[in-house]
Amino acid sequence: MAYLEQCLIDGVLLGGIYVLLAFGLTLSFGVTRVVNFAHGEFIMVGAYAAFWALALLKLDPLVSLPLAMLAATVVGMLLFRLVESRILNAPDENQILLTFGLALILQNVALILWSGDERSTNPPYAFSSLMYGELVVPGARLIGCLVALILVGLVFLWLRYAELGRATRALAENREAAVLMGINVPQMYALAFGLSVALAMAAGAILSFVSAVTPFMGFEILGKIFAIVILGGLGSVLGSVIGALLLGLTETFVAYYIPEGNGWTEAVAFAVLFLVLIVRPSGIAGREITT
Amino acid sequence: MKARFRAALTIGNVSVFLLGLILIVPTLYVPPVWNDWIFRISMLLLLSVSWNLMASTGLISLGHAGFWGVGTYAALLCGNKYGLPLIVVLIPATLCGALLGVLLAVATGRLRGVYFAICTLAMAEGLRVSALMLPKITGGAAGIFLRPELRPSLNVLCFIATCVATLSVAIAQYLTHTPFYYACRAIRNHETAAQMLGIDPRRYRMVVLALSGAMTSAGGGIGAWYGGYLDPMVAFSFMITVQSQIAPILGGMYSVAGAVLGSGVIIALQEATRIWFGDQEGVSQLVFGCILVFGILFMPQGVYGLILRAWKNIDENRQMRGSPKAAPAQNMNAGERK
Repeated sequence: MAYLEQCLIDGVLLGGIYVLLAFGLTLSFGVTRVVNFAHGEFIMVGAYAAFWALALLKLDPLVSLPLAMLAATVVGMLLFRLVESRILNAPDENQILLTFGLALILQNVALILWSGDERSTNPPYAFSSLMYGELVVPGARLIGCLVALILVGLVFLWLRYAELGRATRALAENREAAVLMGINVPQMYALAFGLSVALAMAAGAILSFVSAVTPFMGFEILGKIFAIVILGGLGSVLGSVIGALLLGLTETFVAYYIPEGNGWTEAVAFAVLFLVLIVRPSGIAGREITT
Repeated sequence: MKARFRAALTIGNVSVFLLGLILIVPTLYVPPVWNDWIFRISMLLLLSVSWNLMASTGLISLGHAGFWGVGTYAALLCGNKYGLPLIVVLIPATLCGALLGVLLAVATGRLRGVYFAICTLAMAEGLRVSALMLPKITGGAAGIFLRPELRPSLNVLCFIATCVATLSVAIAQYLTHTPFYYACRAIRNHETAAQMLGIDPRRYRMVVLALSGAMTSAGGGIGAWYGGYLDPMVAFSFMITVQSQIAPILGGMYSVAGAVLGSGVIIALQEATRIWFGDQEGVSQLVFGCILVFGILFMPQGVYGLILRAWKNIDENRQMRGSPKAAPAQNMNAGERK
């Protein structure tokens, strides 16, 4: 029956986009060891950037995406220098509350500037779809998923082979040893954070034509991102990819097979989060938690 | 007997008593506008004291809206079904909050820091979605109204609110003199070390969460009767979570005085932003966000910390002037402490 196949297709496409959502948070946490509660809000800002680029400059979200990412890297590095670098060695509580405050500021600035109305970008491919017999592949999601996976792939290769990327990984693995090898730690921290903001921008641009853009979307997304990274293991790149696909599939299955499932999908992320934290807080691929 | 009474006359206890007087007595006489402010201060006191209780044990809650929402629904549903007055309904509301706290403590067992914070966030949001998706119990998105004949006058409501708020402040203040509080502080500073001293973190955590949850749910119950209407967005409002942490941070984390001071300042700030910006959406939350960021960056000890430091400086100055010969030694001590 085509019902199951359709469900799988939708789930994988959704999961592919989720990979990009969670990747930025994983990157910044892996390196700086600060969980960024404002990551969802960065994605929201990215979505608005794409919206205004289309509305004012007539730039397609996919065209404005590289520009936004470039700008976001610079802004992210500045933000890190000015704010985040001060709390790197602060207690957990201060880190949580500071990034949470940052999220509140971003959300409400967006609310005041752009009102709470739902918007979305409508490039030509947003409503197209491919048909294979009974199966429908929605065009917007397919393009979103492809762009997301390409970006993740590029960052992955950068981490693997580029000089700076390898330094980033070294820093994530062992900070002291990295310092001894002559890696410029503050600069790498700033770069990793800037890159994670850039990835959030890109994720926002994709979401702008896949779903609705509102100032409140960041918080909902944050829940999903946490579910993904906790499921995969906080700080593990491979784990977050697996977690994203699993969450995408689970949400789609709930929407398809459970009565009134569409309403419950919102709760799936939180249920997953809660269960994983209770059963195995280190996630699928994570290291043992050392507190 | 007299000696024991003397011993209880500390600055902290006396201030709690005075706070109670200032809050409770006016509710019997003053006009409605004043009562509105007093009511809001009481609610904020409940939230911030209970949040601070958890923070003092090293548990950062991003899910106070969950406790609050459970309290609101427990109170309103019980009241509507059996036609009970607010005072009686507060009992099940408080119990539900305590139960939720215990459940959370059992579920989160060994989690701390970021993991615990994320867990509370998930709990609150999960509860909100559940309330939305179970309309047979909660009325769903359409919401439910309090039966109008059950609603007491504003003065009575405020009287109850202030009494409950004062009680919670008194409980928190009482705890600061007990071994319980020191155990919690030890857990916050170093859980493993506390464990080696024979403190069982799980048990303390369970009590703290139950107490904190009960306080917040009681607040929720009163809040629901004040508003008279509930839907999941109102009951599990994100604003509750924000409000509960903002006052302790501004006032000074880990101290009852800080939470109380912070609550007063926050209500004043809210009124000020309302006068300057009208009721524009988002402004007060924006102010709260700024307070969080700048408070953590530049004033981690809060207002109470600043006052304490100023007090100490005055004290030292006075001592120096009083005994000029001892002045150099005093100076050296002060230098070392910094």
